[in-house]
Amino acid sequence: MDGDIVLVIVVGTALVFDFTNGFHDTANVVATSISTHAMSPRVAVAIAALLNFAGAFISIEVAATIASDVVEATAITPTVIFAGLVGAICWNLTTWYFGLPSSSSHALIGGVVGAVIAAVGTAAIEGEGILGKVLIPAVLAPIVAFVIGVIAIVIAYRVCGRLRPGPVTRGFRLGQIVSGGMLALAHGTNDAQKTMGVITLALIANGNLPSTGFEVPTWVVVSAASAIALGTYTGGWRIIRTMGTRIIKMDSAQGFSAQGAGAAVILASSHFGYPLSTTQVIAGGVMGAGAGKRVSAVRWGVAGNIVIAWFLTLPGAAAIGAASYGFTQIFGDGAAGPVILSALAIMLGLTLFAQRIRRGQPVPTV
Amino acid sequence: MSAAASLPALVATVVDGEALLDTAVASIVGAVVVTLSASLAIYGFATAAEMRRVDRDLAAIGAVGLAMVASLVFAGTIGLGIAVMLTG
Repeated sequence: MDGDIVLVIVVGTALVFDFTNGFHDTANVVATSISTHAMSPRVAVAIAALLNFAGAFISIEVAATIASDVVEATAITPTVIFAGLVGAICWNLTTWYFGLPSSSSHALIGGVVGAVIAAVGTAAIEGEGILGKVLIPAVLAPIVAFVIGVIAIVIAYRVCGRLRPGPVTRGFRLGQIVSGGMLALAHGTNDAQKTMGVITLALIANGNLPSTGFEVPTWVVVSAASAIALGTYTGGWRIIRTMGTRIIKMDSAQGFSAQGAGAAVILASSHFGYPLSTTQVIAGGVMGAGAGKRVSAVRWGVAGNIVIAWFLTLPGAAAIGAASYGFTQIFGDGAAGPVILSALAIMLGLTLFAQRIRRGQPVPTV
Repeated sequence: MSAAASLPALVATVVDGEALLDTAVASIVGAVVVTLSASLAIYGFATAAEMRRVDRDLAAIGAVGLAMVASLVFAGTIGLGIAVMLTG
């Protein structure tokens, strides 16, 4: 009975994480389309939400990586997964509060790894899987997106640079409807699957699914897709209010190139099962499209922050995940620990959110 | 073996280099084909409009042809990308 209560809390927490993931990342998906006037904010957000939902159904390779290549599925419990999710959400809230750019994906993986280490030690950690399928792709993907962004904008300017600007701008705006749609689809494919992987891992740990033969239940796919789409749609309205001051100035060719670079890298990575930080990949594409035109146009400070985030997020979320697991164990192995920690986490989250809103500061998205 | 020397060896052991390379190549090829085809389509349609304005009908037809082919390649690449994902 206790196990089922914890499982319900885990599923709820995972879907909340998925919702915040969509909420956070809306800016990345729609900002370029809106800033180049390729789409109105309302249409861009609605399409992004719809394609995020659709993207979640495309593949389960990333979910399989999360469920089988990061930690040993047989060595963990729903409480461990819960503690990992708390670690990820707390890290996200903390970085959100201080305005630091961080990756929800790395926070999730870090949180789960930290909780597993606290519970059973390092034996259940798939070190090779984390290095080969998470860390190295995480470093390489934004670099590849940057290179593609440079190549794409050079091609676009070479082919269309001598034409009258009017038709070119209109043409690339039209192209951005497609590239923006692909980016939203790619985002849904990669990010929604991380939640699917975590919920599946919890179901295996609780004995609801066999530990052999990885399979994501349909209700998990549908609920994860719905949560990320709802988060995207909800997050979008905040973006619309604050976009005037925060979006990088770019032309429609740059917007098309950046979105195309991001979508290509994320879709290809999802196909091969690499759980990426979509934020960092899209940032790489945007920087590449900027650098291809003029190197000084790139906000290199943002690149520096991304590098800092690479170093901090995994250990930071892992530390909170480990501490969360330790806290739940004070109340024994039953459901009391997760229930109390959930209540505390909700109160902390609401307090931070209220403080931020009271100060009237725009909410940074990462 | 020193730690510095063993790190690349460790990375080489645990990283599926072929899959990573496939991912990078697929990303680059896909994005380049999509950008090039979209750019050529825009070039074709914009040039066709210019040619029609100066009564160079044959050149305009050629530009429209280029734009149509590039548009088809653009749509085909997007469709292929989605199909590969769906069958993955």
